[in-house]
Amino acid sequence: MAKSSKRSVGTSSTDSKKKKKNKRSKKFGPEGVAMKVKANNNNNGTASNPFESIWSRRKFEVLGQKRKGEARRMGLARSLAIQKRNDTLLKEYHQSAKSSLFVDKRIGEKDEALDDFGKAILRSQRERQLNMKLSKKSKYHLSDGEEDDFEGIDSLGRDDFEDEMLPDDVDAETDEKLNLVQWSMQIPGEISADDGEENRHKSKKEVMEEIISKSKFYKAQKAKDKEENENLVEELDKDFTSLVHSEALLSLTEPNKMNALKALVNKSISNEQSNKDCMFATRTMGNSVQEKPDDYDKLVKQMGLEMRARPSDRTKTPEEIAQEEKERLEELEEERQKRMVAAEDSSDEDSEDSEKPSEQKPRSISGDDLGDSFSVNKQIMTKKGWVDEILERRDEKDSASEDDDGEDSDNLGSSGDADEGSDEDLDEHEKDLSLKDWEQSDDDDIGADLEDEDDSDEDIETASEDLDEVKGLDAAVHIKAKRNASVESVKKDKDSSDAKKIDVGGKQSKELDIPYIIQAPKTFEELCSLVDKHSNDNIILIINRIRKSNPITLAAENRKKMQVFYGVLLQYFAVLANKEPLNVELLNMLVKPLIEMSMEIPYFAAICARRRIETTRKQFIESIKQSESSSWPSSKTLCLLRLWSMIFPCSDFRHPVMTPVILLMCEYLMRCPIVSGRDIAIGSFLCSMLLSVFRQSRKFCPEAIIFLRTSLLAATESKHVSDEDSQLYHLMELKALKPLLCIHEIVNEISPLNFFKIIDMPEDSSFFTSVSFRASVLVAVVETLQGYVNVYEGLSSFPEIFLPILKLLNEIAEQKNMSNALRDKIKDVAELIKLKVDEHHTLRRPLQMRKQKPVPIKLLNPKFEENYVKGRDYDPDRERAELRKLKKHLKREAKGAARELRKDNYFLLEVKEKERSLQEKDRAEKYGRAKAFLQEQEHAFKSGQLGKGRKRRR
Amino acid sequence: MTRPFGVKGGRKRKHAEPKYDAHDEEEEEETQPKKTVVEVEHNQEEEEETPAPAPEDDGLSGIPIAPSANNTNKPNVIFILEKASLEVAKVGKTYQLLNSDDHANFLRKNNKNPGDYRPDITHQSLLSILDSPLNKAGRLRSVYIRTEKGVLIEVKPFVRIPRTFKRFAGVMLELLQKLSISAVGKREKLLRTIKNPVTQYLPINSRKIGLSYSSEKLVDMDDYVSTVTSNMDLVFVVGAMAHGKIETDYTEDYVAISGYPLSAAYCITRITGALERKWKIL
Repeated sequence: MAKSSKRSVGTSSTDSKKKKKNKRSKKFGPEGVAMKVKANNNNNGTASNPFESIWSRRKFEVLGQKRKGEARRMGLARSLAIQKRNDTLLKEYHQSAKSSLFVDKRIGEKDEALDDFGKAILRSQRERQLNMKLSKKSKYHLSDGEEDDFEGIDSLGRDDFEDEMLPDDVDAETDEKLNLVQWSMQIPGEISADDGEENRHKSKKEVMEEIISKSKFYKAQKAKDKEENENLVEELDKDFTSLVHSEALLSLTEPNKMNALKALVNKSISNEQSNKDCMFATRTMGNSVQEKPDDYDKLVKQMGLEMRARPSDRTKTPEEIAQEEKERLEELEEERQKRMVAAEDSSDEDSEDSEKPSEQKPRSISGDDLGDSFSVNKQIMTKKGWVDEILERRDEKDSASEDDDGEDSDNLGSSGDADEGSDEDLDEHEKDLSLKDWEQSDDDDIGADLEDEDDSDEDIETASEDLDEVKGLDAAVHIKAKRNASVESVKKDKDSSDAKKIDVGGKQSKELDIPYIIQAPKTFEELCSLVDKHSNDNIILIINRIRKSNPITLAAENRKKMQVFYGVLLQYFAVLANKEPLNVELLNMLVKPLIEMSMEIPYFAAICARRRIETTRKQFIESIKQSESSSWPSSKTLCLLRLWSMIFPCSDFRHPVMTPVILLMCEYLMRCPIVSGRDIAIGSFLCSMLLSVFRQSRKFCPEAIIFLRTSLLAATESKHVSDEDSQLYHLMELKALKPLLCIHEIVNEISPLNFFKIIDMPEDSSFFTSVSFRASVLVAVVETLQGYVNVYEGLSSFPEIFLPILKLLNEIAEQKNMSNALRDKIKDVAELIKLKVDEHHTLRRPLQMRKQKPVPIKLLNPKFEENYVKGRDYDPDRERAELRKLKKHLKREAKGAARELRKDNYFLLEVKEKERSLQEKDRAEKYGRAKAFLQEQEHAFKSGQLGKGRKRRR
Repeated sequence: MTRPFGVKGGRKRKHAEPKYDAHDEEEEEETQPKKTVVEVEHNQEEEEETPAPAPEDDGLSGIPIAPSANNTNKPNVIFILEKASLEVAKVGKTYQLLNSDDHANFLRKNNKNPGDYRPDITHQSLLSILDSPLNKAGRLRSVYIRTEKGVLIEVKPFVRIPRTFKRFAGVMLELLQKLSISAVGKREKLLRTIKNPVTQYLPINSRKIGLSYSSEKLVDMDDYVSTVTSNMDLVFVVGAMAHGKIETDYTEDYVAISGYPLSAAYCITRITGALERKWKIL
């Protein structure tokens, strides 16, 4: 460094200052500066600024951080900036007053790295280039410089030639041969001709030749390539065929495919054969293979012909099952009729017999009059052997008579329609009418029954009792047992009916009098006449056959029919339940078809039930107004209530049928006055029924509890009605509670009550006052109570509900006339209640002030980035971030610019000041000199020594 | 020759920083005034709505509510975590919070003892302070962290410190580079670096207690706390470093609360437990 600078100083003294500056600007790093400083100190001894040795200090030491401008020297930067201004601003300032400017454009003068020799070389190069350009422009150009004289025309020509040939050489790298020829051609021509024009002409020719030769060469090349490719393909084919014929591939690939492969190979070979005469052997082999039927093709064909897997029979839909069932019954009926006809007129009706199936079959198949053609139920039964023409006529008559019958059936039909349609509301009225009709008819029947009862009450009493006992032996339905066993009995019925169904096949010969296909009866009378004088089993069989011959799933009209039939059947059930000697078995059997049918037509079943409930309640209100008659529900009502509680879901929170049913039962319990032991029996039956309803839903039923408590109260001797009791009974219309259940004598054995028997008994029967009756009622009550205790154990108010009862129970248990069994039972229940009450009491917590949870201070989540990089804007709005960045940048730039301008101003001011001071000094000096001269003159003048100066000069 | 940096730098920053902040705020306010307004309204609505249904949702509206304790004018507690090792370094190309697990090799290369770099101690201590019922009851005034390098950090009591260490490291990294951390969706500063010394932030009527295993005075924390007069604020100075002891000039008392050397987090748990018992915070 120092050396070069020295030299530069030595060589060009004028540029020394400038060069120094350049060096400074180049050497930026601290080391360079330090060296410079040192050099300055050593060599020149110029002013070394002590401020330049001040270093900036880092504020925080961050491990692993390498900052770019780590070693910054504030003073140095300042002096550098001043230097830069000296270079630029100062010059401009000096130039500002000048009109022109001397620009140094000498070659190589700006580059300090070059010495004189290098500069000379550069200059000469430049000169040559210039000359070359000139020569291109015009041949006759004569350089006016002296330097051109050095280089002769020869050199110029050679230069020209070289320049021209150079690109050519580069172009034709690929075809050297041709080029060589060209060269050989060119060079002599070149040598021979030294004239420029000739040279040019030749070059044109050359170009043409070149093009031609080139195209030829390319053609040759292409042909060669093609040949090579073909050769390669041939070789590959050879290899492949050899591979195919070798065993290795054969073993690897499937044998079937192998043939195809071979065929493929042969094809290719045959194609090739035109070109080449080889591989005769393979060809012959290939031909033989091609002629044979291909194994692979065979296999493919076989697979095409093979049987496909078949789908199995699908599972039948309920409709199909119903259809099948119906068809089976139809067949059986047909057979039966045939047999009947054959039995009566076997000889003369043969022809008609043969006709009959031909007529019937198409009818049965046609979907429109399904079942209509078989409305032969009674007619056939009564008048056997009717011919088919008459049958048809009958049908018509039937329909006519039905029309005559009145609105009933029409209404029903419309109601059935409404069931499916959307215009229910419109038809509601009609429906009501129809339902009312039934009710009325039903009631009429009841009335009739009642009258019958009145008439023959005393006469039949004993007989009926006997009869009942006979029936009761196998039925054996007790008050409680009935409740529990009803479901079972239904099941039993189902089983038995199933068994009967199976039996039907075997017993066909025995029960020929029941037709297989029975038209659904449309009125109650029809049904009565249908089932009259049949045994219980047969009635059920008839009902089942009616249902099967009119399946809802098959035809729309069947729905209507079944709805009508359902209504009729329900009526039949009600009437049956009201009959004086209760046919309990039949009632139980009827339950099953009723339940099944109401599953099929739930909406209609619900409507029927609601109608009946409404009328029952009306009757009840009427009867309770007349205080003398007992308003407790009849056996019909009880049976219906029980039926509904079995048909409809009891556990629903709100149900269109069950809710009114429950309310009705509760009303009975609350409002009916307890007059006799029979009332208590009925009430306890209602209670047990309610229990079965509430067992699942666990709803609280205060009426039942109160009734049970009342009946227990009736069992106590002392007739005390304390305040709390009276409070309890304010809901009940209580009338003179007598100790109806008070046991005065010791009972040895307690027999379970048969509820239906009790129902049948008259009110003033002596049985109700007997001690055994009282004991068994008490047992029933206590057991029902136990059921309620179990159901309501989850209620939080359990102790309040059952504690008074516990007291009563204890009191009853203390009575002297109690039998041991009864006492034990009561004690058990009492203990159960006590246990549960204690449990509840221990679980209860005392009332206390509500404590507010202390509210914790609200926590805030810190906002931070996962990988934070300092300086990056994490604003989710990109635009805003960008804008902010730009703003920041602008501000920084503006500040920087202002700072620079300010510093420039300072600098200029300084310069001007310096100039001014210099000028001032100059002026002062001049002034001083002039003054001194004048003073000297004056002095001389005054002193008179005029020649002194001259003297001195000399 | 060189001029001390502090004089110049301090003055410069004084001028520069508030200006910058003010500008920033202005800018942000300009850019998102609507948003903030909406948020504020929303918050107000929430605050208005939430207390209203509270008494009814129990279904026991008839039962009177026990009066709740009022929290004003009660002595508070301040924690100072001394010598916390929170240090940022450029590891590879990114800046990271140094910890002994991930940067052991890096630290060894730079002739540092990896065992000294334990930001997890600070994390645990902060969690045990801020999760205590003492804090939930609003009795913590603030937490100050003084790092080994002398950076003083103020932690507001309502910060929810990240549960995982990695996220905590992220927060601290950003804090040490950006100098403050604000809340999500709010402009409130949750963590910020403040000027030393810490004494200028402590309440005047406060008792400053340093905890040291090496102290001769071994006390039961419950008894010790009960001796402090009830209206006096408490300042506990706990070391959040792996080795060594705290040396502060402002503590009036050095106590040891166990015969065994305790971890910072457990020590804090003891202190908060004692205070909760004293102030009946359950």
